[in-house]
Amino acid sequence: MRSLQARLGVATGLAILLSWLAAAAVSYAVLSHEIGEVFDSALEETAQRVLPLAVMELLDNEQTEGDRAVRRVTTLRRHGEYFTYLVRDAGGNVLIASHAADPADFPPFSTMGFHRTATHRLYSDAALGGGFTITVAEPLRHRQEVARETLVALGWPLVAVIPLTLLAIWGVVRLSLRPVRRFRLALETRGAGDLSPMDETGLPAELLPLAQAQNRFLDRVRDALEAERSFTANAAHELRTPLAAALAQVQRLYAQTEGSARRRTAEVEQALQRLVRLSEKLMQLARAEGGRLRTEAPFDVREVVRISLRDFSDPRLDHALAETPVMSDIDPDALSVLLRNLVENALRHGQGPVRVELSAQGVLAVSNGGPVLDEGTIARLMRRFQRGATRAEGSGLGLSIVQAIADGSGGRLRIASPAPGREDGMEVFFELPR
Amino acid sequence: MRILLIEDDVPLGAAVREHVMADGHSVDWAQRLDDARDHLLVVRYDLILLDLMLPDGRGQPFLRRLRQEGDSTPVIILTALDQVAERIEGLNAGADDYIVKPFDLSELTARIGSVARRYSGSPNPIVHLRDLEIDLAARSLTRAGRPIPLTAREWTLLEAFLQHPGQVFSKDQLTEHLYSFETEIESNVIEAHVSRLRKKLGRDTIETVRGLGYRLTAA
Repeated sequence: MRSLQARLGVATGLAILLSWLAAAAVSYAVLSHEIGEVFDSALEETAQRVLPLAVMELLDNEQTEGDRAVRRVTTLRRHGEYFTYLVRDAGGNVLIASHAADPADFPPFSTMGFHRTATHRLYSDAALGGGFTITVAEPLRHRQEVARETLVALGWPLVAVIPLTLLAIWGVVRLSLRPVRRFRLALETRGAGDLSPMDETGLPAELLPLAQAQNRFLDRVRDALEAERSFTANAAHELRTPLAAALAQVQRLYAQTEGSARRRTAEVEQALQRLVRLSEKLMQLARAEGGRLRTEAPFDVREVVRISLRDFSDPRLDHALAETPVMSDIDPDALSVLLRNLVENALRHGQGPVRVELSAQGVLAVSNGGPVLDEGTIARLMRRFQRGATRAEGSGLGLSIVQAIADGSGGRLRIASPAPGREDGMEVFFELPR
Repeated sequence: MRILLIEDDVPLGAAVREHVMADGHSVDWAQRLDDARDHLLVVRYDLILLDLMLPDGRGQPFLRRLRQEGDSTPVIILTALDQVAERIEGLNAGADDYIVKPFDLSELTARIGSVARRYSGSPNPIVHLRDLEIDLAARSLTRAGRPIPLTAREWTLLEAFLQHPGQVFSKDQLTEHLYSFETEIESNVIEAHVSRLRKKLGRDTIETVRGLGYRLTAA
């Protein structure tokens, strides 16, 4: 049983049930003893009241009539009797019987005092030295009925109290877990890249340390990811500066030399250009495969798309962005790297115009003309360090970087060939994470 | 154009300076923001090339202050920082363009030309002057389809005139446009350049305003 609420409910319910049952059992024992005593005393009282009267009456009758027929005590009206009695002489002959008395219920007189048969509680007394005896009987059924009613009366509250208690527990637990539920909901609904501390206010004292530990954990994760990111950025900066100097110097050298020296300078420049591109791609891949491809809060990505496209001066490139803000929490640098790679690929490997579109629904699409690709080529394109059937120069890392960013940011990538609405070319769709 | 280059990396700065000068511009090179401020006090530049990580501070606050002081000199940022946030900050601070290192020097030439054209009010790189067709982006000059070669200095001079048609340029202004601080120039060098340019463009394209200087006559 995982739920705190259910556990508390069952445990408390059981405890209440058991203690109530114990209390009821003790009360029942005490009560039935007391009730027995009261009934016994009534039995005894009845015998002692009835016997003298009966003896007087019998003696009177004996003197006047002398017959010894059994008398039934007449009644004013018929009624049920709890107590029945027989008055007998020393020989055991019944002299008087109460009107509902059944002689079969009465064993022969043995001694004075209380007796018990299978069905009755009896009290016997004697008068005139044993000349007359009286036995008063009370059916045990009567006492059992009283006991049962007592028991039922003790049980009723239990039937009411247990559901009430459970309801109260449910209510209290629910009420005290409300901040916990709020905390959980806040955790569930926050953005994938949001590592800011959670609001801990209102949490029960028992759960506060848990939330604090989680916030400390979030801090550590954020620091680690931040450190990684700033390392990647610093490394990129440190690497680009000398490369820029070398490239610029070689290009100056090329402009100033002639003949074979110029040719060799051109070769050095080409090698340097390859190095520049490759190091750029490797830095991008490091960034793409590093952590933190989502930001803490969504922003309008159109600005990032515009800025990223500024790097291209190719007149074949054309773009159309949604007119309303397109919100996403993808890391802006990751998005920029992804877009630049898609555009570079389209310009390098495709033919004809390259079009970048960003729809209001958050789908970034880059399309270009060129031969239609089959499924196998598309699948191979997505694998790292592989090139499609093209002579165009490239490191082959572009689509791997794109794929890594799509995977890491939770966006969806799709390639269609031919491009939708055309007969040739291809279109790459990137569904922005939101 | 008179250009201020703010860059602390010596091999890169030297190559950029040499290249931009070869394009016909005059370049002053500051390796620190302090030096750059000193230069700006003395000379009115047509363009600033700004690195963002200098030994005595970052480029963005420098640029923001420049704009706050009312200086609207075009600025191109040259930097190894390629983060989108840095770019946005740079552009918001008032930069006109942003080039990430390493870059091709030819790309730098193109960006400088495009920013300069944007400021001259005619973003169209093709300008017509009488029977001449001038492509500022490609730096080509043709008359009736026949190319007329110009030297880098002559181009810079022509660009200066084209940016402010009708304005009279004094000899000192043209000197400032063509040469940086360190260059020793002869007193008659501007006359020589103007006269050669006149020969190539046509006698009456550049008018001498006695006692004041020269101006382009469009009609």
